[in-house]
Parts: sequence; structure tokens; C-alpha cells
Amino acid sequence: MSVELAEIRDFVAPLPPFSLLDAATLDALPKQLAVRYLRRGSDFPPADEAPALYLVRKGAIERRDAHGSLVDMLAEGDVFAAPCLGGDGSDRCTAVEDTLVYLLPCPALQALRRAQPAFDAHFAQSTAERLRHARRGTAFGADETAADPLAQPVGAFAARTPVAAPPTLSIREAAQRMSEARVSALMIVDGERLAGIVTDRDLRRRCLAAGLSPEAPVTAIMSAPVASIGPESPAFEALLAMTRLGIHHLPLVDAGGVRGLVSSTDLLRRQGTATVHLARRVRRCASPAALTAAAGELPELQLRLAAAGAGAAQVGQALTAIYDAVSCRLIELAEGELGPPPVPYAWAACGSQGRHEQTVHSDQDNALVVHDDYRPEAHGAWFAALAQRVNDGLDACGVRYCPGRVMASNAEWRQPQRAWCDYFAAWIGQADQRAAMLAANFLDLRVIRGDPALLAPVHATVVRECAQHELFLARMTANALANRPPLGFFRNFLLEHGGAHVDAFDIKRGGLLPISDLARVHALAAGRAEIGTLARLHAVAGGPTLSAEGAQELAEAFEFLGGLRLRHQSAQLRRGETPDNLIAPAALSALERAELKAAFAAIGRQQAVLAQRYAVGREV
Amino acid sequence: MIRHLAGELRRRWLLARAPAGPRRDFLAVPWPRSGLPCAAAGYLALDLETTGGDPARHEIVSLGWVCVDGPRIDLGSARHRIVCLAGAISAESATVHAITDDEAAAGVPLEEALRELLAALAGRVLIAHYARTELGFVDAACRRLLGGGIAIPAVDTLDLALRRLARLRQTAAPGSLRLGALRRHYNLPRYPAHNALSDALAAAELFLAQLADASPPPRLADWLA
Repeated sequence: MSVELAEIRDFVAPLPPFSLLDAATLDALPKQLAVRYLRRGSDFPPADEAPALYLVRKGAIERRDAHGSLVDMLAEGDVFAAPCLGGDGSDRCTAVEDTLVYLLPCPALQALRRAQPAFDAHFAQSTAERLRHARRGTAFGADETAADPLAQPVGAFAARTPVAAPPTLSIREAAQRMSEARVSALMIVDGERLAGIVTDRDLRRRCLAAGLSPEAPVTAIMSAPVASIGPESPAFEALLAMTRLGIHHLPLVDAGGVRGLVSSTDLLRRQGTATVHLARRVRRCASPAALTAAAGELPELQLRLAAAGAGAAQVGQALTAIYDAVSCRLIELAEGELGPPPVPYAWAACGSQGRHEQTVHSDQDNALVVHDDYRPEAHGAWFAALAQRVNDGLDACGVRYCPGRVMASNAEWRQPQRAWCDYFAAWIGQADQRAAMLAANFLDLRVIRGDPALLAPVHATVVRECAQHELFLARMTANALANRPPLGFFRNFLLEHGGAHVDAFDIKRGGLLPISDLARVHALAAGRAEIGTLARLHAVAGGPTLSAEGAQELAEAFEFLGGLRLRHQSAQLRRGETPDNLIAPAALSALERAELKAAFAAIGRQQAVLAQRYAVGREV
Repeated sequence: MIRHLAGELRRRWLLARAPAGPRRDFLAVPWPRSGLPCAAAGYLALDLETTGGDPARHEIVSLGWVCVDGPRIDLGSARHRIVCLAGAISAESATVHAITDDEAAAGVPLEEALRELLAALAGRVLIAHYARTELGFVDAACRRLLGGGIAIPAVDTLDLALRRLARLRQTAAPGSLRLGALRRHYNLPRYPAHNALSDALAAAELFLAQLADASPPPRLADWLA
């Protein structure tokens, strides 16, 4: 028999949280509802109703706080559960159109919550839990680790028991041990300590070809010191490290000692070859034109990683690794033509590249820190030429020129170390907004080629200084509050503070950037030198300025928004469009809107907490 | 006022002559007081699908109803009954009502549906769009199956729309008094499905809108059809 009131069931079925009910419960739901009609201008909820959950069938309702500021707007399909969730009732709500609403009495809601755990979780979960669930759940396809083996801890890929030998062995004994265990690499372990590594290739090149006696100690041909990685790191990072270092084996080491060894073949056999191949290809490019062609494959790479289930953080790492490689190669090619640098220097990236958060839509942000021996009249031309070539090359590779001209080709950002020290001192001491904006930008500087020692002391001093300057932190806070997330949705529009409706949402400006800005202020206040947004949040969680829950909430919102952007850009790439950061509400499911609204609310909450701490006023 | 008085007199006259049974039970419940504010009365919105427009010749195919308590529709009271008919449904009628012979065969006897309707309707005011159809068919069914006529208080959403136009000194544009057009005027949702229950609900919601729109708040006597 067909369901009575099927029309109402069908209307309610896709709306969260009702979408979480099982089919039989959903069929029975309409009979538990009542219907009310509110004329435009009426108070909401109606004064003569017992507390209930409200669902807007048609029309629009406006929510304002006790001060009269717009808090939210409800339209078709929006749920208002506050009367059943102990809302304080201080909001004033008004129907702003003739409105038809469905009511579910609070006792009926409680009964549904008791009977349906998934439905209950929607109300009981914290924002962080909800967003994590959304990221892992249906919103972005399969479970991340199931979809992408390389998201698993690298330890899962290591051989059964690590094949290791003491440094006292001869080369012959080491070779015998490798043959018996059928491995191509042997770790040399001195007690708990990893002393070095010997591979088939070392036996060939450093022993046989060099005419060394097989009775010589194995330490004579081993590679040392050896890079290593923790067994809990994602396999992805191990692969990227091997690519960066040009090696094929990576020991797994943690506080307890040597845990195993993975080879690039172990990992590549599983998946993720695309990143590594592209990085190799970039390193072999002989001209900027060849680099442009290689970088043309980056959109395809982003698509494939996202399709394989990689999260936003992983994709950001992978893309930044390639863009770093492109930058390095452009610098090498320029040096090849310009001759060796007249004084040492460091090429540094800031912005999303600095934070390892690039996508195929990112701009370039970079700067040059030159040794203090720099003399403009003698060396200026060389560095100007270098910067111009690299900036042009990056633009040709799809990393567009920075609209704010934060690039090494801008003489202002191509300076000796002492000038950078003066810059930071001035930014910390000055009171204008531009200073805070520039400081925020250059606090994300990361050396990608050249001498890291040129930037390290500047960065360390700045981080130390910042924590002492409450006024500077207050200005950084004001800067971090410049971009506010929207209030929510109203039909197919984004609802901004003050009530403006816009039909597209800049997920970077209104979501990701505010979180990065918050993370930076908290890191500065705690004197932490981390640069990535998630790393910063992790470092300051539970500290004096940010609660553990607050940090978790922001981190989950950051990953959720990053995942949403990734999916948006994937869809654009598949349609042959240029990827961007603009998301249309019409393209989102009701569930995604609900999760997105939870993320907005989390950002808004943490902005308010910070604003209060540094007594920064917020413009409405 | 006159309508209410006449209706109550008819109810008492019928009650005095009705044998024990569902019709008598219904007639034994007085109509809601005529001075009651419309926002405080109980209603039942009814829609019938029929094989034609004449209660004397045509049959009820299905019934849908839902109770309204003042400004509030109680969806828990919603019922949809398909009647098992003796003869086959005409192809034309089946197309309009989307009820097939098989569904009709699986339905309930009209008398059973009628008893259920009268039990729910006792003490309430009937709501229908062009109520004359519903009143006529229910009265005819009572005469045929329950031994005599019936007296039901009713408000007609079509009649209320006409009165509103008259008050505004406007004339109705062609089609503007249809249920769907009136619902659009009050910003009510469009229901694509067409069956007795969804039409009853559609009339109930229209009634809520007309009630919210009315100023000053009407009393039952003002609105009875």
C-alpha cells in the first residue's frame, strides 16, 4: 500500500537530520507533524504552540539576536530545532514572507532520537565530530584510507621483520645476509641506533666496480647518515620524502628504535605513482617551456589524487611538493644562464605554498632573502634577473602572478637579511593595517631553495618578539577577523552578515583563509614556529589561548572546507573549466549545506573568542 | 447566523427521526456555537473524488480528509479511503483520479468509509473547496446507505475567496478562484499529486491562510456556508 501523505514524506526525506532516519520511520513521520500558516510579519514560533521542532515548507523566517543583528534566515527545507534543544529563546524570529511550517512536537522528537542513533548523533555530536563524520562519510565518497592505501601509516607497508645487521659485518657477510633474506637493502644498526644503509647498488658501485675487498667492513660502503621517517606517518609522505631526496629506501624509526624499511617500489606498487613521476619529470626539464608542459599535468594529478580519496591536506602536500620542484628547477635553469650567484641567498615561498596548502588555483607568493654582503650596485642586476625569470616561469606554469605583487621580482621583497629584520621590526612596532597584513603574509615564509640559515634567525627572532607584543597580536587579530564566514544559506544564496544575499561563496576567503589567519595568531601568541595551518592548530591546542575543543573544531572545519574545495575543483576540471574557489550553493546537497553551516558557525565562534581576548571590535 | 440556526433546526429534526446507528450518533452532537471565534473551532477538511458531478447519478471513488484545530492542521488525523465500486471505473475517471480498477477492488465499502468519516466529523465544521459537491455526495450516500439525510456545518474556501473579492470590490479573473491559483496567492506550495487526501490538505492549508488573512477575527456564524 502506498504511503499516505507521500508528498510530505518526499519533501522531508532528503532534509538533514530526517535523511538519517530509516525508511519505515520516515514513512511514519508525516503523521506526527502538524501544519501552521504564518502571515508575513507574524512572530515565530507562534506563541500558542508548545515547544516543537519547526521545518519550513514554504516562505521565509528571519532570526535576529537581542541586539537586532541578523543571525540567520530560514527558508524552504530549513529546520529550526532550538525550542527542543534548550535554546535560550533570546532570538527574535519573524516570518518575512507568508510561511507554511511543519511542526514536530518536542516529545516526538525525543522519541525519534531514542529510537534512531544516527538521527540522535546529529543533535548530540560536537561540530568537530560532525564535520569529521561528514568528511569520512558519504559527502566525499569512500573512507579515505580504504580509497587510498597511501593514506595509511607507512608502517603498514614495511616488510615483516626489519632486515638489519651490525656494523661489524664484512661486505661479503652483508651480501650473504641480503641474498638469504631476498632483500635489496640492508640496514646497519648499532645497538638501537641506525648507523647506515647498504643497497644492491652500493655493492656494485662502491665494492665491485671500485675493486674493494669483500672482506672490508660493510661500513666502508654504506650510506650514512640516513634519512628516516616515523612508522605512523602517512605512506604518502614517505614517498614524497624519497622523491625529494632521490632515494629508493627509507628506514622507519621512532623513539623506540628501528622499526622497518620501505622501498619506493613497495609503495608505488600500491598507488600514487603519478606524484613521484611528475616530480622526477620536473627535475629533468631542460627549459622553462618544458616545465610549463610538465606543470600542465598538475590539474590531472589533483584530479587523480582527489578521486583516489586523498584528503585536502595530502593533496596540498603533493601539489606543493611539485610546485616546489618547479620553483627549484626554474631557479637552477636561471642560474645556469646567469652564472653562479654573487652572494648566497635563499628563495622563499609564503602564502599557501609556504603553508604546504597549494591547489591548482593558487597564486604565487615569494621573496628573496640575500646575504648581508649584498651590494645593490654590484649584485642587484643578477638577483633582479633571477627573480624575473622565476616569477615569469611560475606564471607560465599556471601559478599566476600575485595581484598584491608579493613576489621576488618586486624590489621591496628582494632584500638582504638585515633589511628583512628591519621590515619585521617595523611591522611589529607599527599600528596600521597594512603592516599587520604584510606581517601575516611573511610569517608564512619557507625556504625552498638556497641557504635556510639566511631566514631561520629572522624567523626565530620574529616569533620570539611577537609573543611579547600584545598590541601587535591585537592588530594581527583584527587582520584575522577581516574575512568573516557567511551566516548560512537562504534558498540558493549565501546569507552574509547584514543580510546581503550572494549567489556564490569564495570558500577560500570566507572559510579557509579565516582559519589559517586564526591559527597564525594563536601560534604567534604561543611563540610557536610551525607554518602549516593544521600544524599550528595542533601545536597550540589546549594552550592558554585556544581550547583543545576549539582547535579540533577549527582543524576539522579546515579539512572539511578543503575537501569541499577539492571536490568543487575536480568537478570543474572534469567539465574542462578553469578551477576556482567559488562555490554555488545550488550545487550543494542539503546535507552539505548543513555541514558547511556548522563549519561557518565554528569559525564565527573562534573569531569571537579571539576578538574578545584582544578586545578587538568587529564590524557588522 | 441564519444559516447556523437553520442548520441546527434541521439537525434536531433529523435526530428526532433517526434510528440508532452511526447517522444518529453523528446528529446527536451539536454544531459548534455560532459565536465561537473561527480560530477556536474544530474542522475537518474533506475532498471527494467522484465519477461525475451529480450526486444522484454518480459515485464516490475515494475520500480524503484531515482535521484542523483552529489555526493548526493535525496530520495524524489524515485519512485516505478508496472505495470498492460495484461497476468498473470509466477510463476517463481513472485518468483524472489515477485510481485503477485493481486499486478500487482493494478498497473499502462506501458504508464503512462513511461511518469512519462521520465519526471524525462529529462536532466539527467541514472545510471544502466548493463545499456543495462534498455536502451533496455525503448527504446522498447517507440517504442510500444509512437511512436518511444529514446536516453538516461547512465553510467553503471558494465562497470565502468570493466574499474577499466582493469586499475589495474586485471581480474574479478567469481561473483565479481555482484551488491552485488561490494557494499561489497565499504563497502556499504547489502539490503535484492529485488525490483526495492531497486536495483535502490543500483546502485545509488554504483555509489556514484565509483565517490568518481575515481582519477582524471572524466568528463561525460569519463564515458558515
